[in-house]
Amino acid sequence: MTATAHPEEIGVEVTNVTKSFGGDEARVTVLNGVTLSIRKGEFVSLIGPSGCGKSTLLKVVAGLSEANGGTVSINGKSVREAARDKAIGLVPQSPALLPWRTILDNVSLPISINPRGNTGRRLRDPRELLQSFGLGHALDRYPAQLSGGMQQRAAIARAFVFDPEILLMDEPFSALDEMNRDQQRMGLLDFWQSNRKSVLFVTHSVPEAIMLSDRIVLMASHPGRIAEIIDVDLPRPRNEALYATDAFRDLEFYVRSALRKVMEAARV
Amino acid sequence: MSDSIATAPRRNSSAFTMTRIIWNWGPPTLTFVIVAVLWQLVAINNPYVLPTLDAVGASLASDPGMYWANLLVTCQEIVVGAGAGIICGFLLAVAMSELPIVEKAVMPLIVVIMVTPVVAIAPALVVAFGFGMLPKYIVTGLVVFFPMLVNSLAGLRDVDQKALDVFKTLHASRWEIFRDLRLPGCMPFVFAGLRIAMPLAVVGAAVAEFVAAGQQAGLGSLVTIAAAQANLPVTWASIALLCLLGVLLVSLLALLRKRILWWSDEDVVGR
Ligand SMILES: Nc1ncnc2c1ncn2[C@@H]1O[C@H](COP(=O)(O)OP(=O)(O)OP(=O)(O)O)[C@@H](O)[C@H]1O
Ligand SMILES: [Mg+2]
Repeated sequence: MTATAHPEEIGVEVTNVTKSFGGDEARVTVLNGVTLSIRKGEFVSLIGPSGCGKSTLLKVVAGLSEANGGTVSINGKSVREAARDKAIGLVPQSPALLPWRTILDNVSLPISINPRGNTGRRLRDPRELLQSFGLGHALDRYPAQLSGGMQQRAAIARAFVFDPEILLMDEPFSALDEMNRDQQRMGLLDFWQSNRKSVLFVTHSVPEAIMLSDRIVLMASHPGRIAEIIDVDLPRPRNEALYATDAFRDLEFYVRSALRKVMEAARV
Repeated sequence: MSDSIATAPRRNSSAFTMTRIIWNWGPPTLTFVIVAVLWQLVAINNPYVLPTLDAVGASLASDPGMYWANLLVTCQEIVVGAGAGIICGFLLAVAMSELPIVEKAVMPLIVVIMVTPVVAIAPALVVAFGFGMLPKYIVTGLVVFFPMLVNSLAGLRDVDQKALDVFKTLHASRWEIFRDLRLPGCMPFVFAGLRIAMPLAVVGAAVAEFVAAGQQAGLGSLVTIAAAQANLPVTWASIALLCLLGVLLVSLLALLRKRILWWSDEDVVGR
């Protein structure tokens, strides 16, 4: 059902990834044989109990953490090559804007870093981008002068500005209050729907995962693994009206019970 | 609502400003007045313990050129000695944070030097380098070197991990990470180090001068000579000038901090 630009082209391919922490005696397997592919222009959410390894998986895909086994490829390239070519856009949990730079300079930063990686990228004009994120009036403000929601929006703009092939977002809205959160979520949805990119999005919110995603990857813990992949067959473009539909509610109920099953299994 | 931009509250009425000034300046002024009165009481009754404040003032007024010349010498020691110490401390911190091998190699030596009292090193330096300015530069530099090193190093390490992750996914070079993240990010720590270093620089210069008093000018030298002659007004006038110098340096620093570190609201370490 998803109308992507390249419906069947694989963007990110995670194959049998294993990751453990600790020394020989106290070894803990955090990811065990995780296999997942994300198509170009597909929005995939990761959901699962706390500590199941969502952030760890995201870090492996981002090249911030080395897997012990398995492979990750991004558009056919290794993670390292992908980073070199600036194919990866990261939105961390906190906005992590540089307080000494204006919003405009923060969003322009990725363009000036590793300029070689810009070849072949359709770089965006940071001003226009910030305008479309509703921050046109705040270009010359400093991060401390903006609300948390605006800062997070700037952090998302910073990840879009250099036209990466995959966006990795680790609970980008988790620090925001519920109303703000919903507003930012819909803002991201609007922007993404007109600027399709592969996205791997970690969240704790079931409605958020459904509203945004093409597929929801449900993870189980101890060791972290994929329990189920749920297709979100809801028409796009989506908007708030979707929350009220039966299809949305049915799916929400389904995801919640699947999540509960995973958590109960972990308790036994 | 969520899009509202925070702005500093404006002070709107002059009456409010007036109250504010009194509230800010009143209590410290009162303290100084009380101390001055007590001082005068002690000085008048014990002329061999403290000079009266007017005697100190008269001494300053009677020979301003002499004080000025000595003040300049001490300033020179601070500018050259502390300047070099600050730069060396910072550069070594950069080398240590970028190259772990440097830290491994140098840290033990640093600790050894750090625990050696500078007051004890000063006479040895005079023996080694003579009565010129060099040992004074070294002592002053040494005193500020450690707070600068330690604070700068802490600052260079205290990098926002999430921001660092963003840099890494962009495949930023070490130079880019240093230039755009570590260097600006460590500035609050550097200023905290300077805040400690500035008063210490005055101490260092004065101590260095004590050791070779009379050989070169300087306010510390002046204190020693005047004290040996039991010339209390000159002794205390020199002390007052040293104190003024310290206050001036710290205020200058605060001004500088406001200008270039407006984005960080407070000192991160030390005080
Ligand atoms: N650097 C590390 N060293 C040791 N253990 C780690 C490290 N990083 C993560 N872990 C462990 O790996 C497990 C998974 O952590 P991770 O942060 O990926 O979970 P998560 O699914 O993102 O959880 P949350 O939803 O709370 O963010 C946890 O048990 C955590 O303690
Ligand atoms: Mg996490």
